Amino acid sequence: MTIFKEMFIANVKELIRDRDGLFWLLAFPVIFIFIFGIVFSGTDESTFNIGIVTQSENIMIKQMIEGISDIQTFNVTQGTEEDELQALERGDRSLVLMVPDIDFNKVSQGQPIEIPVYYDASQSTTNQVLLPVIGQIFSQMEDMITGQVRIFEIQPQPMQTKELTDFDYILPGILAMSLMQLGLFGSLQFMNLREQKIIRGLGVTPLPRSTILSSEILLRVIVSLVQTFIIVAIGKLVFGVTIVGNILVLCGIVILGALTFTALGYMLIAFSKTSEAGRGIIQVVQFPMMFLSGTFFPITMMPKYIQPVVKAIPLTYLGDALRHVMVGATASYNLLTDLGILTAWLVVTLVLAIRFWKWE
Amino acid sequence: MNSIEVSGLKKYYGSVKAVDGISFQVKVGNIFGMLGPNGAGKSTTIETLVGLNKRTGGEIRVLDLDPGKEFDRLKPQIGVQLQNPSLFPRLTVREIVRLFASLYPDPLSIEEVISLVGLESKEKVQTKALSGGQRHRLAIALAMVSNGSVIFLDEPTTGLDPQARRHLWDVILLLKSRGVTVFLTTHYMDEAEKLCDDLVIIDQGKIIAQGSPKDLINQYFVERAIEFVDPGFTEEERNGINDLQIASRVIFENEESHIILYTDDIARSLTSLMDYAGGLSKPIADVIVRQATLEDVFLKLTGRGIRE
Repeated sequence: MTIFKEMFIANVKELIRDRDGLFWLLAFPVIFIFIFGIVFSGTDESTFNIGIVTQSENIMIKQMIEGISDIQTFNVTQGTEEDELQALERGDRSLVLMVPDIDFNKVSQGQPIEIPVYYDASQSTTNQVLLPVIGQIFSQMEDMITGQVRIFEIQPQPMQTKELTDFDYILPGILAMSLMQLGLFGSLQFMNLREQKIIRGLGVTPLPRSTILSSEILLRVIVSLVQTFIIVAIGKLVFGVTIVGNILVLCGIVILGALTFTALGYMLIAFSKTSEAGRGIIQVVQFPMMFLSGTFFPITMMPKYIQPVVKAIPLTYLGDALRHVMVGATASYNLLTDLGILTAWLVVTLVLAIRFWKWE
Repeated sequence: MNSIEVSGLKKYYGSVKAVDGISFQVKVGNIFGMLGPNGAGKSTTIETLVGLNKRTGGEIRVLDLDPGKEFDRLKPQIGVQLQNPSLFPRLTVREIVRLFASLYPDPLSIEEVISLVGLESKEKVQTKALSGGQRHRLAIALAMVSNGSVIFLDEPTTGLDPQARRHLWDVILLLKSRGVTVFLTTHYMDEAEKLCDDLVIIDQGKIIAQGSPKDLINQYFVERAIEFVDPGFTEEERNGINDLQIASRVIFENEESHIILYTDDIARSLTSLMDYAGGLSKPIADVIVRQATLEDVFLKLTGRGIRE
């Protein structure tokens, strides 16, 4: 146990003193988050899609709608309540107004006309700008109509739409990708030790070779949890992604993912002789996996003939499981299927890695 | 009593006979040297003795254990310095000594080992920033920290400056004074002469001479050596030296353009040689007269210098 502890400490020091390596390990996912965060959260800020639902034939209402439509930054659509609310859930509307018929009895009694306004509660920036603007529009109309009496009462109706923004979809993908790279490229550390004959040299000491690997793997798992923490924190604090899942379940999936890709990495280097070859083969594996796993594009967007590949690669299932647990996305597969297939990959690659392993 | 017993050891790589049937014994508490040029089979032998290589044939006992089969029992009892030291690049000197100390049941103290190899001032330096000589000394520290009863050193002083070499010799002699058995390889004759109680000279995988340095020199040389820089003799003039009948053997080291004469009558040989060279108007400068060394033994046995 002392030997394991000392070896583990040695590994930690090796890792944290490799400033370049550490920078890429932790900064790479962060850079990805910001790139995608900015690209996907900046959709059409200049125009807002406003949905209006009304059955009223009242001339005042019609004028009001025209008035709203005249505002340049608003793109107004009219439709049935059902259609418009669905559009809001899809993220196609920033706001839906329910405009009832004007009941003049109510107005004369001084009761305001209630106008429910539906909006996506998670889109906080939009709402902070849009709701006051809508409020102002109505009070201007009141001025025009009556001069003073309050006719309309805006009733904000926040909706927690289940539909995810593109970025919500991508954040777990970035985590999955980071875990993949951590596991695959992490195996190169062993490759370097092997190439520099450090492993061979340690062979004359009582250090069990398995300890060299197991302490390294433990370190990898811990780094994966640190990465998860960073990615989740930035997603949440900077881009307002709501993390819905249980944090322990999330950690469990992260560890399974880190182990699966570590095993895959070790299997790949077991087949390569030099670290150059190892790096090459890992690139060949990780690059297509990154794009075909549905990390950045939903799998349904991909052509049919590529679907079997998509269904074979482990990153697909890690991404799916993480999306499910982190942001509550409707999973493409059952969570148990995801975990089962990841475990299968882990077992198979581990067996192959052990079978073809080269210590020297 | 012997720490190491080797008989008929063979190690072949395909058709290459790296080690081809060597036998020797190392007494407890001795410094034993294996001397030979690069590629003679020294490293292969050491790696086989410490269990890194599987032998093709023969018998080995180290501390009465077979390194091929009882490696795990042997490892805690030996310290090994290989030519490629196992240094994690970003650990400091102290950290890596500490790591190695944690691997052995009864290690020496970290401070002691570091000061023995003279790296106190580098304690907090990462190993990748060490010079070649410092890395070497650290590797020896790692072998020593094991507190093993046999220490294997593979060319411990190769690449060191003269001062560092002397310092390391003192360290090796100190190990001996503590009762440690040392097995070392070297291609430095002076090192083997200075340190070793016993040695074998190995060339092309075979032992060509065996004994204490003194025995070997006495056995092969009662003469002294006259060594000088070739003043530019032609082939014919060189052969003329042989015809002078002043030396039992004349060796031309073409690479260093040195000529060495072995003789038991220094005065007569020197006079004749000077006259001969003067007669050719090619006076000889820089003459060294010395006792025969292991280098001479090697030259005599193989007809080539050890560094060629």
